[in-house]
Amino acid sequence: MKKNPEQEIDQSARFAFSFFVASAGLWLLAAALLAYIAAAKLTDPLFLSSLEFFTYGKIKVSQANAFVYGWGGNSIFAVSLWIIARLSQSLVRGSIFLIFAGAIWNLSITFGLLGILDGHMLGHELLEMPKQVWPALLVSYLIIAFIIFVVFRSRKQKVTIAPQWFIIAALIWFPCLFLFGWSGLELNPGRGTLQSILSIWFGQNVIWLWLTPVALGCAYYIIPSVLNRPIDKYYLAVFGFWCIAGLAPWSVVHHLEGGPVPMWVPAIGTVMSIAMVFPIAVASTNFHSTAFQDVSKVWNYLPLRFVIFGTLSYTISSYIGVIFSLPAVAKLTQFSIINEFHFNQRVYGFFSMIIFGIVYHILPQITGREIGTAAKNFHFWTSALGVFALLLAYLVGGLTHGVLGQQPSLAWATVIESVKPYFLITEYAFLILGFSQLVFVLNLWKVLVPNPFASSDRQANLKTA
Amino acid sequence: MNNIFKFSIYIFLTLSFAWLAFVVGATNQYGDLEPTAESLEEDGSIPPDAELFPKSMAGIAQLGAKEYLSLGCATCHTQQVRSEEAGFDVERGWGKRPSVPRDYILQEEVLLGHNRVGPDLANVGMREYSSEWLHKHLFMPQSVVEGSICQPSPFLYEENKEASVDSIEITNGETNIFIKPSLRANRIVAYLESLHQNYELPEIAFSDILEEDQSVEIASAVAEPETIATAFPSWLSEQMESGKEIYMKVGAGGGLCYTCHQINGQGIPGAFPPLTGSDWVLGDKERLIKLSIHGLMGEIEVNGEKYNGVMAGFGIQAGGPPLNDQQIADVLTYIRNDWGNSASAISPEEVASVRNSVKDRAPNQMWTAAELQSNSSPD
Ligand code: HEC
Ligand code: HEC
Repeated sequence: MKKNPEQEIDQSARFAFSFFVASAGLWLLAAALLAYIAAAKLTDPLFLSSLEFFTYGKIKVSQANAFVYGWGGNSIFAVSLWIIARLSQSLVRGSIFLIFAGAIWNLSITFGLLGILDGHMLGHELLEMPKQVWPALLVSYLIIAFIIFVVFRSRKQKVTIAPQWFIIAALIWFPCLFLFGWSGLELNPGRGTLQSILSIWFGQNVIWLWLTPVALGCAYYIIPSVLNRPIDKYYLAVFGFWCIAGLAPWSVVHHLEGGPVPMWVPAIGTVMSIAMVFPIAVASTNFHSTAFQDVSKVWNYLPLRFVIFGTLSYTISSYIGVIFSLPAVAKLTQFSIINEFHFNQRVYGFFSMIIFGIVYHILPQITGREIGTAAKNFHFWTSALGVFALLLAYLVGGLTHGVLGQQPSLAWATVIESVKPYFLITEYAFLILGFSQLVFVLNLWKVLVPNPFASSDRQANLKTA
Repeated sequence: MNNIFKFSIYIFLTLSFAWLAFVVGATNQYGDLEPTAESLEEDGSIPPDAELFPKSMAGIAQLGAKEYLSLGCATCHTQQVRSEEAGFDVERGWGKRPSVPRDYILQEEVLLGHNRVGPDLANVGMREYSSEWLHKHLFMPQSVVEGSICQPSPFLYEENKEASVDSIEITNGETNIFIKPSLRANRIVAYLESLHQNYELPEIAFSDILEEDQSVEIASAVAEPETIATAFPSWLSEQMESGKEIYMKVGAGGGLCYTCHQINGQGIPGAFPPLTGSDWVLGDKERLIKLSIHGLMGEIEVNGEKYNGVMAGFGIQAGGPPLNDQQIADVLTYIRNDWGNSASAISPEEVASVRNSVKDRAPNQMWTAAELQSNSSPD
């Protein structure tokens, strides 16, 4: 039986895709566990307190890293590979190199996290893993990105479309960001607070220029292809893309408002954050005015439901983000747990939800096996509930934290006392999310494992992760 | 956008513009800041004998910064007092003035942070916590601040049922336990004590917000009972009393200090240097302990005046019977906190650890000011 070209492409990507998705799933569980421990330590500081390995600060930092590099990195590799291959209509070659590099990537993160827990953390945001692991991470990243590039270069269709811009740009941005960050933080460290500017610049941009564009690219891919209609006002997409490329790297430093850095740094950041309403509006229009032309299909096709949840959450919380970057508001909330809201809405509410959707979309095509609807639905509702509870608690808790903290007559202990109930809610939310992610990984397991290829990946991956 | 090379170059450029602006722009603007005097001459030069700020941290505190970093304390604590327009930090009493870039130029680990589950620590060394309190807090914050969610680090201490030389007592419900700080715990506490932006700079003066009438209210908010009442007064006043006694006492267990430095700590111009306002007294503890143990000779500058005399050490068999670690700690704590002086207390452990670090020095080999200033050895 002769296969159609799409099946051939899927076949060529299957090996590597399964490996990356399975690794991503395991990292997701690791991150969920760490998140729960950290949340539990906030409600009960004595929990596990005698073990230095489980100090709150270390757990918190390794959770962010496991999430961004473990789950984020692996799932970025998986979905970029498949989407780029499909859009370019060309086969993936060199799967073995992908797996090899992927194994190094996962091993390095494992060592990196152990390094953090063992007390060798660096003091830069999302660059906390010890120095030694970064060269390996960079090299394995470059191998993977290079292979995806080769696929992209051999595309049949010369004209590129939005999902390709976003994904390819994200793949290029990450190593550039890393080199820029590394040169100013470790190779030739600037004195004093110069380091802090660069650290925040890097840490925020990893989210804005790596995770975010990939998720946007996925949404630009899946919405028209499932609904079978073009993106509404597609001509705006190019404007949206260049706005993100041009504004995001400037806007992230608004977090330094009022701090010991030159005044113009946060001032530029604030102006640019406000300008971010344009790209947010563009993406939101593109996605939602397309999707809402066929609401019943969005609702009934679960992967798309996940994606639209993600894009809606992106829109709403990015606008909230803009509001919180205004100096008058930042005065209250700049250092409050609103920051947790921003981080979690971006990585859970937006990025992860879209990745869940796209993975559920791709898996059946690649493996030929369907995932049970009930299981998927369960995953969707628990995720939605967990994300909702988490974000709401951080949002309301953050406002409480900021507003009370601003009153000098209230002792700090009293302020924190009023925020404690929200910490308790987040603890439960992380529990729900962890549970829901377990369901996700079991769903993956069911489709990947019976497959002879995938089961060997799985084992390879179990060893590394 | 269809040519991938052009595309890559464009997106690389958008990123590098921002990077260049921030890194190159900011480096040009303040990359070469240096320590300076609290106020400058009219022509912008540094007055000849002025003290320079910021000062670099003692070695032990620098090591403490690394421990603080590796335990992830910065996930909950910032170290930056925001400007008055941008935040309420000064009003909250977290600093006498906003932080400026120059404050950080000598720090190896700059831990500004951006989460404040706990209070800002840029000036924690200025708050009136004794090092014993800080140790208790580090060991188990809940033992000194009820309901605190600051994270405990009991693994930095040795716990005992019985008291030993340099142990600290913790009341835990009915039972009392004694904890003995490890070297790492001492480093962290030294680091916390060294965190203070307690000086003015040409670019920033102390804020006047606090001088308005609300200051009373604020002071009481800052000095919440949680901190002062539970740990500070009884403990410090004990040390102060015993210190004062030693300062005034002639004979065994006494330091005779008043005969030279006078009862009011002002010294005698030209002969004996003052202890009030002296950086030798208020500044680096290690230096102070060293000169107390072995003594001091040669030229020294105190409060801008030069002295050239000899003071025998009182921590080592010299003229009379030497003072022990506790007595040295008491008298030094006393001189750091009377006559308007105000600085953190000195604990016997600190004296012991300094004593240990100089144990190879010949008993009659006094320090010179120049020697003490040049070697701020790391430990
Ligand atoms: C979970 C967040 C959290 C972490 C992590 C944390 N702290 Fe705290 N810290 C707090 C809170 C909340 C307070 C206020 C209540 C209190 O005084 O205990 C506080 C208070 C303090 C204080 C007293 C400050 C003052 O002015 O009253 C010190 C000192 C301190 N922490 C040091 C540390 C050190 C050292 C570490 C790292 C080992 C650390 N903290 C880690 C939350 C945290
Ligand atoms: C015999 C007189 C004498 C006695 C007694 C004496 N000192 Fe001194 N002290 C001096 C002299 C002289 C110097 C300056 C030494 C030099 O020029 O290098 C000095 C310097 C100092 C300094 C450093 C400079 C400064 O003023 O800040 C300190 C601190 C100090 N003494 C503390 C003490 C303490 C505490 C005691 C009591 C335990 C004490 N001294 C007893 C004579 C004395």
